[in-house]
Amino acid sequence: MSIESPRTAIVGLGITEMGKVFGRSAVDFAVEAITSAVADAGLDLSEVDGLYVNPGIKNDTDMRLQSTLGMRDTRVLATVQGFGSSAGQMVQYASMAIEAGMADVVVCVYADAPLQEGKRAGAAYPGQARAMVGVGSLPFAAGLKAAPERYAVAARRHMHAYGTTSEQLGAVAVAAREWAVMNPHAQMREPMTLEDHQSSRMIADPLRLLDCCLVSNGAVAVVVTSAERAATLRQPPVHVWGWGQAHPGYVNRRGSEFGLVTGAAQSGPAALKMAGVSVDEIDVREIYDCFTYTTLVTLEDYGFCAKGEGGEFVASGAIAPGGSHPTNTGGGELSSYYMWGMTPLSEAIIQARGQAGERQVDRHDLVMVSGNGGVLDFHSTLILSAHPKGR
Amino acid sequence: MALAPVVRDDFSAPFFEAAAEGRLLLRWSPSSGEWSEPAARFCSVTQSDDLEWRASSGHGTLVSWTIKPGRTRDGVTTPDVVIGVVELAEGPWLSLWLPEADQDRLAVGAAVAVSFVQPEGSEHLPVAHLG
Repeated sequence: MSIESPRTAIVGLGITEMGKVFGRSAVDFAVEAITSAVADAGLDLSEVDGLYVNPGIKNDTDMRLQSTLGMRDTRVLATVQGFGSSAGQMVQYASMAIEAGMADVVVCVYADAPLQEGKRAGAAYPGQARAMVGVGSLPFAAGLKAAPERYAVAARRHMHAYGTTSEQLGAVAVAAREWAVMNPHAQMREPMTLEDHQSSRMIADPLRLLDCCLVSNGAVAVVVTSAERAATLRQPPVHVWGWGQAHPGYVNRRGSEFGLVTGAAQSGPAALKMAGVSVDEIDVREIYDCFTYTTLVTLEDYGFCAKGEGGEFVASGAIAPGGSHPTNTGGGELSSYYMWGMTPLSEAIIQARGQAGERQVDRHDLVMVSGNGGVLDFHSTLILSAHPKGR
Repeated sequence: MALAPVVRDDFSAPFFEAAAEGRLLLRWSPSSGEWSEPAARFCSVTQSDDLEWRASSGHGTLVSWTIKPGRTRDGVTTPDVVIGVVELAEGPWLSLWLPEADQDRLAVGAAVAVSFVQPEGSEHLPVAHLG
């Protein structure tokens, strides 16, 4: 069976308070986001018959949320772990379950509470705490521990191959902040300049502090159902037109495209093909931006600019408010909140609905959403629309 | 010492035996004639599972690198840590610490040679030096 044209829609969105919110667990956040998303849809929790749960770095919530929520006779239920690609994956699995008749109303949730009061954000993501046993732990032993240094190696390859500069990466950060200033959900709403970026401290050369995403406590939940049912519910449906996944499986050897080309180069075109639209028709881009470099390379791989021209593209102002290619319109993970793939997905829903207030993009018929996990290892894409797709 | 200690398991025992003698072992597939990184379970080109240990030249070039700035805490300043991705002459990439690297000489394609150091409580671990 192939789903050439899915007929599902996102009908509910729940976003908790974000950031340095202490004294609450991932489960607490998840419950709030889910009940809020279900209410947003105009549904009752008793009508939910599917649940996908993506735990974050603390990994302290899972599909046992079912019993926490008092759900019974659930028809699809799983903990999903695709790291940053999870949100896109969950919407895909929810859509397939609905298309297959397995479930009617599926909730997808991400929840995490890695920040601890009085501790640095960096302490929340110390790198994989694996036992240092065997040759597999040599990169970690050498110092490639947390995400910044691993992405730094990728970014430097791009800079060397294509002449990408730190100032161009800075343009991504500045654009994200310009959008975040207009987003009431955003953690970072103070204006920021390229000079601020250039003078921010080096975290892992060539990545500076303002090249790095935030760390947030909180949760985001979405509700997926059939397009038919969506038409009867409270919110403007956000229709799922297409999707893709690509997990490149980089090999550590001569000829590897690591840092130069990502899974987005396969996942994006696959999603566009399924949706039956071209990249030129996309109105709004919500790109997983764990680092400024990730936005830049994903825009290239999706085809919004040619390979190697991402630096010039972002520095042109194209992605900033008022630009030709509005991107990460809520401030992204760099400036709004870090809920893995739920950051781009939540803003995509808000934009497609036309509920983004001051930062609303005029043309918001088609929104492209990316998810990226590991160190460019795992990628998912969604094409969402304010309109049902004709068959 | 920036390196964290690593202990052996059954799989890695030959690697660390050789490392103690100053030799870098990689994985090599007789069926494909291709080399893979030390942690590989399958050939990185053909996915065949006939990998065996074979000595590398220990020479390669720098593909990319990062520098983690040193920090001052309680009056003690730690040095910058340079970590490079090294492409060995045989093809595989290793991520290695470059102790005391001259940062002005870091460049894509720069020649590097592998040697070994032994952190306290650890096997001998490979590090890289600019040639």
